[in-house]
Amino acid sequence: MEALRHTTAITRRAAVGVLGAAGLGFAVLGPRPRKDAPGGRVVLDYWEKWTGQEGRAMQRLVDRYNASQDRVFVRYFAMAGIGQKALIAIAGGDPPDIIGLWNFNIPAYAEAGALVALDELAAEFGIRREDYAAAVWPLLTHRDRLWGVVSTCGTVALYYNRAMFREAGLDPDRPPRTIDEFDEYNRRLTVVEGGSGGEGRRLARVGFIHTEPGWWSWLWGYFFGGTLYDGARDRATAASAENVAGYRWVQSYAERYGADALISFQSGLGVYGSAQNAFILGKVAMVNQGPWLVNTIVQYKPGMEYAVAPFPVEAGVYDAQRPIGLLDSDVLVIPRGTRHPREAMAFIAFTQRRENIEQLSREHCKNSPLAASSPEFLSSHPNPFVHVHDAIAQSPRAFVFPRTRTWPEYEKEFNAGMQRMWRLQEPAAGALERIQDRAQAQLDDAALRRTRRAELRGERA
Amino acid sequence: MARAGRSPARRRRVPPSLVGLAWVSPWLVGFLAFFAVPMALSLYYSLTDYPLLEPPIYVGAQNYRDMLHDGVFRLVLVNTLIYAAFSVPLGTVVALVIAGLLNQRVRGVSLFRAAVFVPTLVPIVASAMVWMWLFNGELGLINQFLIHVVGTTHPPNWLGDKAWALPALVVMSLWVVGQPVVIYLAALQDVPVQLYEAAALDGMGPARRFWHVALPTISPVVLFNVVILTITCWQVFAVPFIMTEGGPDRATYFYTHYLYDNAFLYQKMGYASALAWVQLLIILVLTGVMFLVSRKLVHQRSA
Repeated sequence: MEALRHTTAITRRAAVGVLGAAGLGFAVLGPRPRKDAPGGRVVLDYWEKWTGQEGRAMQRLVDRYNASQDRVFVRYFAMAGIGQKALIAIAGGDPPDIIGLWNFNIPAYAEAGALVALDELAAEFGIRREDYAAAVWPLLTHRDRLWGVVSTCGTVALYYNRAMFREAGLDPDRPPRTIDEFDEYNRRLTVVEGGSGGEGRRLARVGFIHTEPGWWSWLWGYFFGGTLYDGARDRATAASAENVAGYRWVQSYAERYGADALISFQSGLGVYGSAQNAFILGKVAMVNQGPWLVNTIVQYKPGMEYAVAPFPVEAGVYDAQRPIGLLDSDVLVIPRGTRHPREAMAFIAFTQRRENIEQLSREHCKNSPLAASSPEFLSSHPNPFVHVHDAIAQSPRAFVFPRTRTWPEYEKEFNAGMQRMWRLQEPAAGALERIQDRAQAQLDDAALRRTRRAELRGERA
Repeated sequence: MARAGRSPARRRRVPPSLVGLAWVSPWLVGFLAFFAVPMALSLYYSLTDYPLLEPPIYVGAQNYRDMLHDGVFRLVLVNTLIYAAFSVPLGTVVALVIAGLLNQRVRGVSLFRAAVFVPTLVPIVASAMVWMWLFNGELGLINQFLIHVVGTTHPPNWLGDKAWALPALVVMSLWVVGQPVVIYLAALQDVPVQLYEAAALDGMGPARRFWHVALPTISPVVLFNVVILTITCWQVFAVPFIMTEGGPDRATYFYTHYLYDNAFLYQKMGYASALAWVQLLIILVLTGVMFLVSRKLVHQRSA
């Protein structure tokens, strides 16, 4: 028994000693705040989604800002899953000072009061609506207030392989303008091996496939004059006649070549940002893509012959002066709870100077969000067709993600519906009706929650 | 003795129970901070409308009522049920068969044992990427084998076809069968040799000895593995999230993925919490049923 007590006593002491030593070691040798910020400056933390080449470009801009003045020091942190991390940091009351989000995050974050409204600050720092392309400002606003500032943007256009056009007897300087022309081009560019039917018939190359790379399954109705959301009435409009026409057109490809054949063909296509990119590899002759595709072309197939044009539209809505195309953008926001909103805004304003935003856009291989690009920007851009993207951004018919906080759910519904339509499991009209019903239920639910919160705030007031 | 100088009164001042609590306090703090309090909060949040960025508002059982009308909830429930219904028995049978084979005295058995266990050490993301290529409908090795060796003319587009995506994931779940195999193997080696000898004297071959002697003896271990596998299947997330993102047409959209989407994509933390509690309830019920059924099937060794 005595021996046991003796053992216990020694173990206890040893354990306390080890714990004490560990604590001391942690205190002496443990993590320290980074000392890369010069003393006496206000330090701002900036969280961004960009890594690699895009991250380095933003880091250079941050470095220029840090060198341009001696009052504020910005620290750039690149991270994956920034949407979730920002959400948790803001909810936990310990957000960074600046966050680089996707534009579709704005409605949800703004409605939740998670962002600092920038109307007054932006005006004070000289950020004005008229300085930006027409479609950009709506991306940054929600319920008539400004919640973010664009960092980079890109419009989506038709990239086509000029060599394949020539080989198919098509004029590479005359890209298709209407859907009918596009279908004819597609027919001539598509190569089917193994005869006209029966066993062994397979697609060796397609002119175009709507699901490659499949990032925006929801946009095809826009090329027929449709939209997905009526913000004024808070209504989902997926089942409009224009959208039904758009998705009947999508289904016509599956009917022509066989849904199974197209799905099988696509499963053999490589990763987008690699040498196996379907467009670069010549498996697909035309793709609907942003200006950043040129980064991949330059890296893996620098001599590739390609050209860019606005994506074709249904003949009834064609207007050469007002092309239709998606404008996607990244935004800089100041989260609720930051201690230095003015300093954060000063940095954001710095990024918006023409020379800075154009340099960042150039290094990201994107078009500029400004109302007018400088001649130097257009001439020195790595994408020789950036003017096409620029023209789409300036067009009054450039469209953006539906501006509702339920968009992530709506998009999930759309992706599932698109897969049914693509497999010809459901007619376009029925699938879109179902998507619209579900999206509307989500919108109604969000409205109910909004009202409940408003009432609660009213009662408290 | 170092402690000889201490007065007995000083020793008595701290009751032993408090000393014990102090010693387990790191675990207790961890349990409270990372388990008990989050669970209690999650139960509360399940009764609220909580978009994470705004304070929660109490809505009673509304989130639970919403589940009754949520078609996607029913779909993920059915998908997960089907996945578990096939993965658990298949995983159990395959693990038992492999363990039985590895229990033989053959040359290089250690190498085979290591080979079976190694896949469990591979990061799940890496495994998923490899399996995506194996299942590739156009270029995948599995389909190349089916075409060139078996002679199939139209092999399935595994991950691209709604009918085949879920079965493909069930097959892939066998990839990490190494862990139960190791446990079964340990249990099989614990089976008394005299039982095998008696069975052999009675004229039983290897297969019958396995079925009538080994299996009943290791049945408590089988129960343990089946329970763990069932829980794992009901929480399946990473592999379908990486390989199919829940598609095609939500054919591989599972319960935990839907829960995650509600919490972090749709910012419906209240609804996600309610989903988590229903998931816990389902797992508890299933585990309870398994224990009830096992009373008649599992061999209980006397002390």
